[in-house]
Amino acid sequence: MDTFAIRTEGLTKRYGQLLALDTLDIAVPTGSVFGFLGPNGAGKSTTIRLLLGMARPSSGHARIFDTDARDVRSAHRSLAYVPADVALWPQLTGAETLELLGRTGPGVDRGYRNELVERFALDLSKPGRTYSTGNRQKVALVAAFATRAPLLVLDEPTSGLDPLMEREFQRAVAQARERGQTVFLSSHQLTEVESVCDRVAILRAGRLVEIADVADLRRLHRSQVEVTFAGTAPQLTDVPGVGAVERLGPARLRFTLTGPPAPVLRALATADVTALTVHEPTLEEIFLDYYDEVAR
Amino acid sequence: MTAVGTPAPRAARVTADTSAGRAVTWLAVRQVRRGATIVLVLVVGMSAMVATTYASTFTDTMDAAALAALAENPAIRTLFGQPVALDSAGGFTVWRTGTVLAVLVGVWALLTATRITRGAEDAGHWNLLLAGRIPLSTVVMRHATVLVAAVLLTGLATATALTTAGTPPVGAALHGASIALVGVFFAAAGVLAAQMLPNRAAASGATVALLSAGLLLRMIGDGVDALGWLRWLSPFGLAALSRPYHDNRIVPLVVLALAASILLTASTVATAHRDVQGSWLAPRTGRAPRLRLLGSIPAFALRRLLRPLAGWTAGVGAYYLLIGLLAVSMTTFLADNPRFADLAVQAGFAGLGSVEGYVATMFALLAIPAGTFTAVRIAATATAETDRQLTLIYAGPVTRLRLLAAETATTAAGTVALTTLAGLATWIGARSAGAPLKLDAALTGATNVLPIAALCLAAAIFALGWLPRAVALVGSLPAAGGFLLQVVADSTGAPHWVGTLSPFAHLAPVPEVAPDWTGTLGMLVTVAILTVTGAIGYQRRDLNT
Ligand SMILES: Nc1ncnc2c1ncn2[C@@H]1O[C@H](COP(=O)(O)OP(=O)(O)OP(=O)(O)O)[C@@H](O)[C@H]1O
Ligand SMILES: [Mg+2]
Repeated sequence: MDTFAIRTEGLTKRYGQLLALDTLDIAVPTGSVFGFLGPNGAGKSTTIRLLLGMARPSSGHARIFDTDARDVRSAHRSLAYVPADVALWPQLTGAETLELLGRTGPGVDRGYRNELVERFALDLSKPGRTYSTGNRQKVALVAAFATRAPLLVLDEPTSGLDPLMEREFQRAVAQARERGQTVFLSSHQLTEVESVCDRVAILRAGRLVEIADVADLRRLHRSQVEVTFAGTAPQLTDVPGVGAVERLGPARLRFTLTGPPAPVLRALATADVTALTVHEPTLEEIFLDYYDEVAR
Repeated sequence: MTAVGTPAPRAARVTADTSAGRAVTWLAVRQVRRGATIVLVLVVGMSAMVATTYASTFTDTMDAAALAALAENPAIRTLFGQPVALDSAGGFTVWRTGTVLAVLVGVWALLTATRITRGAEDAGHWNLLLAGRIPLSTVVMRHATVLVAAVLLTGLATATALTTAGTPPVGAALHGASIALVGVFFAAAGVLAAQMLPNRAAASGATVALLSAGLLLRMIGDGVDALGWLRWLSPFGLAALSRPYHDNRIVPLVVLALAASILLTASTVATAHRDVQGSWLAPRTGRAPRLRLLGSIPAFALRRLLRPLAGWTAGVGAYYLLIGLLAVSMTTFLADNPRFADLAVQAGFAGLGSVEGYVATMFALLAIPAGTFTAVRIAATATAETDRQLTLIYAGPVTRLRLLAAETATTAAGTVALTTLAGLATWIGARSAGAPLKLDAALTGATNVLPIAALCLAAAIFALGWLPRAVALVGSLPAAGGFLLQVVADSTGAPHWVGTLSPFAHLAPVPEVAPDWTGTLGMLVTVAILTVTGAIGYQRRDLNT
């Protein structure tokens, strides 16, 4: 099997004047849980629609494993999808919907499906029109996880779930990963992304602004450092990794630090530092930092 | 502090309420204005055109005897209503276009009523609206009012146009009023059904059934003298009973107006006692799964087809059973009036001189329900796409072409079943009434309209590919638009080529004569071109999910 479950090259989508997606290049390694983040309107759902062949790229192309994303008949044999806004056939009950999706989809593991129905506490006897938002999402999630397709494409799948179901969802993703499935997860729930994803891409206004392993993201990111000193201030200009130096008082400085701390420690050693605090940002703060730059 | 503070918020609330109400009205206006304009132009245009060209087309070819014969012919009466005052431009216009235009206005009014009330509510468009200060009943009533105003305007414009065309103002006013009131009646019925039934499709279906029943009653009442009183039970019958340009009776229209206001009042009451997105006849909240016909895309297409097909078949079947039953009064009439055939030919109704000719004329009309059926089915596919029910199917290993092929094949099969059953119903009716009609003649006559239905199907597929928001409209154009065009061309003396644009011009009156194979071939070529172009568009465009 291919080493990448999803690969896009210069994927671009225009809606008239609006550039919804600008030359996106990403590669999602097989077997990973890949988070796809960005503020509202960043182009996440647009990307997913292009990956699923529901919209045509203005330029560039996407591959699902080793097939072109436009060849839906083969590409969709290896993926399952949960849309952001699930609509069910109003006249079909949950059980009938699962049957339909199971028989027309990429194959289904009925035993696992029954287990998921239990775990998600889903009442399958109700007609589609009577389900609540969260329950509609659960029907789609059960259908997707039960396929055992090698790739799961999930667009904000938990926006309507309660915390208990959110926990079940995270368990199901973990089990999918254990089985070797790849999960492409677009989400606004940053804690969820932090706990399930190996790697994330951050999109902003149609552009990819970051793609990194979750572990590296922390390292790449700025820490806040505060120093108190006696006597002359340490000399911090031109020290690699240091930015936004601020004087907080006659004997206090604050600056941000990116990358390895060795150079700045050497610079601080020359001064008489009396106190030092380093604040590591949480992943949530890191994400928000990226999102925030929209406003700037 | 309080003395100064209290009045200000109250005043603010009052202005906010009226402006919110106005915003709802404006929303309703935006949703109906395009359709309302089209309907108004069609109704006014056709009436005015037939009335103004009357003198040049008809008076010289028809004498008093021909008129009398026409008025007595049960086939003609069933089809167009009882002719009264054919010797005047106004009377002729009412007779030739009245029923067609009343049906047009009624169908538009009821479909629009269920679309802008139940449809918008079910799609959740009203959730934000209703979270505000405005209660559900106000929202429903403001939409109903806008729709009623639209059909009243159509009636007023028709009356004005007919008066301007030189017909007597009283008759014009009465005819305009009857068209408007039929519209008001079905708008009100649509709104009421939308309050009672759990979804838009059910509400539209129930109101269409009511309209068909009304039309059927009018036809029986007009065709069979002894059952003339049935017309008092039908909006179309009441409109006919007002006899514009002849007796100018107002009482039937008062009855119709009363019936419409009762329906409107009933819908207010029904709205006040239900939940948002709820209904009186609530669906069951749980049931055992029925897993048949879920195994593949074509099977599922068939599953979604069966229920609507049963409804359409019941309606169309009842209508053609009646047509078969009326064939006997046709034969008696012919025996009593041997000169009729000549006169009918002279008046432009060749073929009505025999049972075959009569059913052939009636079968041509079958193209309209058959074609509309195909358009509505493909429109349902387009709606399932925009309502995102198809999203999970599109995400499966199924090409759009295969999905379209499944929808097209089941729709086509359904249409064949619909027309065949209509033929069968006609034969059963004719046979039980003792009229000499052969089964194969009835079946070939009924299935003869399939090329027009295929044109509608192809036009709907074309729209699905290139104009997905107008599938039902574009799809029903070949049948409904073609029929209107033919009526206009026939009764206004328009240039010959105008008439040939209508597919009906290429439909032979089967079983009276053999099918028009050249015409059929021409239509099938058009069908192939439209289908292929539409499929390419559907394959290439972005899905509206
Ligand atoms: N069919 C369309 N026609 C025109 N513009 C569109 C269409 N679909 C999306 N857009 C625009 O493309 C941009 C990206 O939208 P998209 O739905 O991909 O955002 P998103 O990242 O999924 O946002 P959210 O987090 O709110 O779901 C938006 O500006 C949106 O308005
Ligand atoms: Mg989105």
